[in-house]
Amino acid sequence: MNWATPFQYDFMLAALGVAALVGAVCAVFSCFLVLKGWSLLGDAIAHAVLPGIVLAYVAGLPLALGAFASGLLCAVGTGFIKNNSRVKEDTVMGVVFTGLFALGLVLFTKIESDQHLNHILFGSLLGLPRAQIIQTVVIGTLTLTTTLLLRHDLLLFCFDPGHARSVGLNPKVLNYVMLILLALTIVASLQAVGVILVVAMLVTPGCVGFLLTDRFPRMLWVAVGTAVFASVTGTYASFFLNASTGACIVLTQSGVFLVALVFGPKRGLLVARRSSKRGEDLGLETGSATK
Amino acid sequence: MMETLLTPFHYEYMVKAIWVSALIGAVCGLLSCFVTLKGWSLMGDALSHAVVPGVALAALIGLPFAAGAFFAGLLAATTMGFLKARTELREDAVIGVVFTTFFAAGLLIISLRPTGVSLRTIVFGNILGISNPDLKQIAAISVVTLTVLALKWRDLVLFCFDANQARSLGLNTTRLHFTLLTLLAATAVASLQAVGACLVVATLVTPGATAYLLSDRFGRMMFIAGGIGASTGCFGAYLSYFLDGSTGGCIVILQTLLFLVALVLAPKHGMLASRTQRRLAVQGGVT
Repeated sequence: MNWATPFQYDFMLAALGVAALVGAVCAVFSCFLVLKGWSLLGDAIAHAVLPGIVLAYVAGLPLALGAFASGLLCAVGTGFIKNNSRVKEDTVMGVVFTGLFALGLVLFTKIESDQHLNHILFGSLLGLPRAQIIQTVVIGTLTLTTTLLLRHDLLLFCFDPGHARSVGLNPKVLNYVMLILLALTIVASLQAVGVILVVAMLVTPGCVGFLLTDRFPRMLWVAVGTAVFASVTGTYASFFLNASTGACIVLTQSGVFLVALVFGPKRGLLVARRSSKRGEDLGLETGSATK
Repeated sequence: MMETLLTPFHYEYMVKAIWVSALIGAVCGLLSCFVTLKGWSLMGDALSHAVVPGVALAALIGLPFAAGAFFAGLLAATTMGFLKARTELREDAVIGVVFTTFFAAGLLIISLRPTGVSLRTIVFGNILGISNPDLKQIAAISVVTLTVLALKWRDLVLFCFDANQARSLGLNTTRLHFTLLTLLAATAVASLQAVGACLVVATLVTPGATAYLLSDRFGRMMFIAGGIGASTGCFGAYLSYFLDGSTGGCIVILQTLLFLVALVLAPKHGMLASRTQRRLAVQGGVT
């Protein structure tokens, strides 16, 4: 077995391609989530898709449809309860998504199906059937294109909803557009990386972009670059390690995050330390000058 | 009929599961009041995922389950605190990055050495097959948590309501912060075995949220939340025998149902009550 062995298998080539695509879709969206402060909404929606998947299986509908509906139900339900009670938003989110996830678990144990729970929860990048690959590619490309086309509006909405309204955009509509895109992104990535690790794909690349640059277009490129690199490296490494592919991808992303955190040219810990030292020196000098 | 209803009590493992679920439910319910008040709901979620590598490593080298989990949970919390203080990233993003990293590390360890602990245990919990040493760990965690809460609950309440005021009254808020975090990690470990990693956060949030809808006084809120936790733990474990479904799922569904009932029907803060109040206010305004 040498370095080229993985490329001789069709399933590995497919996995690498799907991982890179899913990584890119999630990375683009993660930039908006990180700016908006919605990182954990991604977590909630990702868990909440479970009952939808099980019910869609029972009804013979496409699983993606069920997942999408139940993810959106979680987001809308959270909003509704928050507006109609005195409970804080993060608490409501916790109550709603765990309720849906619990329902999904119980339904799942009751219903005989050929779906493996492990595959839904942790992904099965290396064993994706052809139909699922096509589905992932279609939903992923669609979401990616829509997000990129709407990026100016979404960006304005994330930074300053008030300003968005004043230039004639409807923040309420944008809110729902963003929720729908988030749910679609999650549905597209679900079969590849699973419910739990999709959160990582939706948060970490955006954070890396945030640490490395101040400008949004560049942040998008950094995030996509990080995610595609991590997806390909992680999938490739998991072949040799014989380890969970999703875990390898996420850990590679975390590695990139760590490097950006320490060595980032502007906001890295090393730079911050050096500049704070310089600041102290300057402070001392000016202090003595004024005396 | 009666015979059928009593069947679960004929099995020792069911009786054990029922009372352990009730104990964990009560302890988590009490703590959930502090968690919801402090706005730490997602911290609970993050900690319950972050303990997984600790569990996996402890299983590999033969340490107690709880020790590894507890250590991993605290390490994750410290990392989050460090990143939040040192970067301009939002807190939710920091929590997201850290807990997914920890969880992925746990997953990696399990996929490399599948013999230690199974994924099934982590996802579903293992209340029906709980071993006696695990039982002792849970009992010990519960006793310690209850003791600390009994001794310190007034300070903790003040800290959760208003950390600044707590500080100005001379309380050591750093220590209180750490105490609460430690309790959270410890109960997350206990709850992990009862309901599984994904549902721990429910036991640490939902009873508190329900009680918050039902009461304005903190003492009563703790009482209600503890009661909800204990009764849903009991009844959920019992029901899961008949449903043949996941025990954790049943417990959490019951808690969510209670929350929904309180949301609509709560005497003062429920949706019906506030609608009536609004109508009365409108009528008052007209006449």
